Amino acid sequence: MGELKLKPQKNARTIEEINAKIRKGDAQVLTAEEMKKLVESSGVEVAFKEVDVVTTGTFGAMCSSGAIINIGHSDPPIKIDRAFMNDVPICHPGAAVDLYIGATAMSETQPYEYGGGHLIEDLVNGKEVELRAAAYGTDCYPRNSLKTNLTKDDLNQFYLLNFRNCYQHYNCAVNSRDETIYTYMGKLLPKMRNATYSGAGELNPLMNDPDYETIGIGTRIFLGGAQGYVIGEGTQHEAKSQNGTLMVRGNAKKMSSEFLRGASFTRYGTTLYVGLGIPIPILNLGLAKKAAIRDEEIFTNVVDYGVPRRDRPKLAKVSYKELKSGAITVGDKKIKVSSLSSLKTARKVAGTLKSWVENGEFYLTAPVERLPLDNVFKPMKQTESTPFVVNVMQTAVTCRETEEVRAIAERIVTKSVNHIVVVDSLGKLTGIVTSWDVTRAMAEGKTKLADIMTRRVVTTKPNEPLETASKKMAQHSISALPVINDEGKVLGIVTSEDVSKLLGM
Amino acid sequence: MVRLLLRFGEEIVDQPIVSEIILELKVPINIITALVNSKGGEVLAEVPQEAMDKVVAALRKRGATVSLPKLIEVETEKCISCGSCVSLCPVEAITLDNELSVVFSKEKCVGSTCSACVDACPVKAIKSVKQNNHELINSRLKGVTGKKR
Ligand code: SF4
Ligand code: SF4
Repeated sequence: MGELKLKPQKNARTIEEINAKIRKGDAQVLTAEEMKKLVESSGVEVAFKEVDVVTTGTFGAMCSSGAIINIGHSDPPIKIDRAFMNDVPICHPGAAVDLYIGATAMSETQPYEYGGGHLIEDLVNGKEVELRAAAYGTDCYPRNSLKTNLTKDDLNQFYLLNFRNCYQHYNCAVNSRDETIYTYMGKLLPKMRNATYSGAGELNPLMNDPDYETIGIGTRIFLGGAQGYVIGEGTQHEAKSQNGTLMVRGNAKKMSSEFLRGASFTRYGTTLYVGLGIPIPILNLGLAKKAAIRDEEIFTNVVDYGVPRRDRPKLAKVSYKELKSGAITVGDKKIKVSSLSSLKTARKVAGTLKSWVENGEFYLTAPVERLPLDNVFKPMKQTESTPFVVNVMQTAVTCRETEEVRAIAERIVTKSVNHIVVVDSLGKLTGIVTSWDVTRAMAEGKTKLADIMTRRVVTTKPNEPLETASKKMAQHSISALPVINDEGKVLGIVTSEDVSKLLGM
Repeated sequence: MVRLLLRFGEEIVDQPIVSEIILELKVPINIITALVNSKGGEVLAEVPQEAMDKVVAALRKRGATVSLPKLIEVETEKCISCGSCVSLCPVEAITLDNELSVVFSKEKCVGSTCSACVDACPVKAIKSVKQNNHELINSRLKGVTGKKR
């Protein structure tokens, strides 16, 4: 830190004062990481006296992103009804030639590979993209179809308009299932063999101003490598639970693909990685304290994405310090964890923003309106209920591994079922045997159940959506799933007949 | 050392081919990964460069298919250092350096027999690439000409 020529001690500074210093080139700017070190070494009082601005940053996949573009009028004019750019379906939410490119819209010819996010990146990079449009034709807009090639220079407006960015913090994901799953939290290996998380922790903009004292409507920010603005709270914003989000806008023509990257998550879909940074003016001691928050003070839940329900089980609480260390502990299990968002680029965002402010290229703004602090993020009101396994499961007919095939055959006949579940003395699942297995065993002269039962059993849980259970059966070409609890105890069985009766499939 | 991908069919999977060759040629063969069941097997093995021709010929004589494994490569210009791939690697071939850049160790990576990281990269920066197999073709010729048909 250089020598400081502060005016007589005050316990507050204003945005105007900071901007005056920026103009003169002597504003003291630290990145959030540097700020924390200073507070640790010299204390918060000194940090408050010395530091005018703390810059933050994050760079992660932000699905609720997109760009609004205006392509100008053709001759004869067209009122676009359906449009594609590089085969990505484009929204036409407004008048004739205003279009919205959603980051998660996928190309019809290359789904999961190319989508709105990639399209935005291509435009940002100055690449030419192909627009195809169709219309029903009106007296004032007679044209029915259109095909043209465009670059960003041909667009009247090309604004990034993201309705939910910059999640304050996010879950850490694991998968308890027996198979790998591909989610918006990335690839999750079976039996919790890895974990993923997202978010920059102590570098995250909203973590450094958690009471939204300085971040509000009109706050000027770093967005995708250019200057942008906060235009409101993001969808699903809930400040109380540290789940704040932002709605932002910025001129995409000035952005750079270093901070704006199209991406695709295998078997999930496409998205856009967005670099976003916010300068926090250190207006008072309280803000200096808040901007000193460390990764060890920021906690998130380890959530089981193997359970496809809204309320996925929370298995543990971990700090961002643990997350960034590369391993977390859940129960007595050590799990390798890695990030989905780039900490390296998050640092670069904070560093770039710092140099902009230092060089007088970026001035701070006071919000014209504060963001809501008491919002509640409600679950969906559902007027139709979805069935779960528990709604259709039946009592399972069981047997023990030591039984003879004959005895099983008799049980199949008397109970008129096709599946017998094999359990141990505690009622835990050890296998399954079908009427087909038994028939074959009889034909082949086999007598011991142990020789013919299937030991690797695909199972379900009572709270699994019926649709998921039904998919499992189709995937493995089987016609029933034993229902077990967390300890592996058999609770019942669900068969494909029961499922089709209910789902009408 | 050279890495070779050996494939065994159902007919020969129960034979101790690799051990036999080690004993016969007195060459160290290091098994890196092996996936073997009654239907056949796929083994990634490391052999000394100078002994490669001999080993390949001996393996082929016993009915194994020998090829060079595909290598996993990361296109650094594309990589955003997100880290998605890191926790998937079973051998810690992918790590973060002090600058938080993702670094990839070709020596540690077990190659296409694993590929766990490939479909996890959001910007498709990880590729499975075929190696130039001139040497292997040469050694095949040598192996074939050395044997009377
Ligand atoms: S292919 Fe497997 S071993 Fe190689 S880097 Fe990827 S995950 Fe690691
Ligand atoms: S997943 Fe891809 S982009 Fe992310 S660190 Fe690995 S190689 Fe780089």
